[in-house]
Amino acid sequence: MDQAAGDIVLNVGSGSTDGMAPGEQGLPPMLLELDRVTKRYGNMEVLKDVSLHVRKGDIVGLLGDNGAGKSTTVNVISGVVQPDEGELRWMGQVKQLTDRRASAELGIETIFQNSALVDSMTIARNIFMGREMVGPMGFMRQREMREIASEVLKTIVAIEGIDSPDKLVGQLSGGQKQAVAIARAVHFNRTLLVLDEPTSALAVRATEALFDYLRHLRERGITSILVTHNLFDAYRICDRFVAMAHGQVVLQAKKGEVTVDDLVEVVSRGRLSSKEEREAAGVPAS
Amino acid sequence: MAQTLAPAPGGPLGFGARMGSMRRSPGFQYRLQQSAVDILAIFLILQVASIIFSLADPGTFAFTSTANLLVAFQTIPLLGVVAVGVGILMIAGEFDLSVGANYLFSSLMMAQIYQDYHIDIWLCAVIGLAIGTGIGFLNGLITLRLHIPSFITTLGTMGIWEAAALFFHGASSQVFTPPNSFMVLTNGSFGWMAGEMVWFVGICIAAWALLQRHALGNHIFAAGGGPQAAISSGVDVFRAKMIAFSLAGGLAALAGILAAANVGDVSPEVNSTIPLEAIAACVIGGAALTGGRGTVLGIFLGAILLYWIQDVLLLLSAPGFYLTAFVGALVIAAAVMYQYLQARRT
Repeated sequence: MDQAAGDIVLNVGSGSTDGMAPGEQGLPPMLLELDRVTKRYGNMEVLKDVSLHVRKGDIVGLLGDNGAGKSTTVNVISGVVQPDEGELRWMGQVKQLTDRRASAELGIETIFQNSALVDSMTIARNIFMGREMVGPMGFMRQREMREIASEVLKTIVAIEGIDSPDKLVGQLSGGQKQAVAIARAVHFNRTLLVLDEPTSALAVRATEALFDYLRHLRERGITSILVTHNLFDAYRICDRFVAMAHGQVVLQAKKGEVTVDDLVEVVSRGRLSSKEEREAAGVPAS
Repeated sequence: MAQTLAPAPGGPLGFGARMGSMRRSPGFQYRLQQSAVDILAIFLILQVASIIFSLADPGTFAFTSTANLLVAFQTIPLLGVVAVGVGILMIAGEFDLSVGANYLFSSLMMAQIYQDYHIDIWLCAVIGLAIGTGIGFLNGLITLRLHIPSFITTLGTMGIWEAAALFFHGASSQVFTPPNSFMVLTNGSFGWMAGEMVWFVGICIAAWALLQRHALGNHIFAAGGGPQAAISSGVDVFRAKMIAFSLAGGLAALAGILAAANVGDVSPEVNSTIPLEAIAACVIGGAALTGGRGTVLGIFLGAILLYWIQDVLLLLSAPGFYLTAFVGALVIAAAVMYQYLQARRT
């Protein structure tokens, strides 16, 4: 992995992909790997040799400041943009994701903040948007769709204020919308959820509820990537962290191998202080 | 096979409240939320008021006279059919200001081909519809491929097709004398119902089936209401919008053909208020100027209500430009109201 002069790139514990075979050492099998992915827009290199991996059942925090490369990484994972160099592997196999449909077919669902659902449509119509159950000549099997939508809401989420799949999504709160979007992804057998800033518009209680829900999904083997600025939230929910700065991965670490202060430092400075710098500053090494 | 999760104690989201009743009829809330109920109530109140005034003073306010109703049944569909197409396109998040020019050009070409070359009238009608649909398709292609706002595209094509009508035909009116079979189907009467009204009702039913029952309808709502979400969900937004553009064009042409059969000639003078009136009918019917929202019932009632206002103004001997001013003010008021509601929500 390339690194800018002076940067310390940490690949702590299982964070390193080097020489790690899927499923080795009794770890869960590898789900997604980016290997030396580079993306350029014109002369600007927005991703530089980005390598990261996600294991089945992990909740991974993809962290970084504005312009760090998180969004482009998410776009690569979701098939919106294609890397100029490097490769994406899904369950060990190299895949070319040419569009979002290709990523969805693998089982990847990207839920963007505020744009996952259509406000002017009902919950039921949103759940089946683009995946309608149709009968002869493309007419929707609305009764079945509605019944399934009711089941999805009943069995996955019990959200205050949702009493019918016929409710307009525009009438839901931010947390409710996130929950419905996640519920939809889970219903359609998505195995990797990529959540873009899922808590930025949520109140504390709604954030807690969402995290409970993600833990609940983890127990069922559903993997999540949380893309977030909120390092404290990330530290509470994530099993692993991938921090980015200036288009590069600058830290990969398991929870317990870093502190939240380390995350703040690596995101804000783009690197962790060296042992000598810490000692000089009187800060104990993590 | 879809995966479902067992309910977690208290619900995994832990907000406490359980799901409420799911026993309401399918789509009941959805219909209530789509504004057509509001417009229906206003429509009925105003109709009843007009009928009462008409019965009280039939000499000066002949609202319920046979002649007035006959003209209404023949005239409403000409705007209504255009409005259905424009409404579908508005739901998809786009506009077509060229429907008036399309209405003229398609019907003029149909009439000219029929009169000059004596080709079968049904083939001529199909050609007219194909021209209108093609104009809509072209509008969509320019808008979506070149990423131009649709009101700019269609403002431009409006001028082009107006000019094309004069270029191909000149400034004189085109006589149109189709055979009786064609007249019966387009301009005849079915009991007390004018043929045009039968077309309008039929098209409304088809449009309702498309929007509310067909997967494409779901895609059209999604494309207009949240294109990013739609794309994320695998909806082919380009396809949905292209079909909406084409439908708007085709229905404008159909209205032009019905008008040509009704009048017996086609004047190459564009009725420039058609696009604005069609948009106004949709707005009255609850369609959002920003897309993603609207009902066929609302558009149907909106078209009738707009005609009714015009009719009342005429019966009261008010100048015709009152309606034009009213329609313009209505569209602005709708936009202001939308901004106000958005501001309140945020």
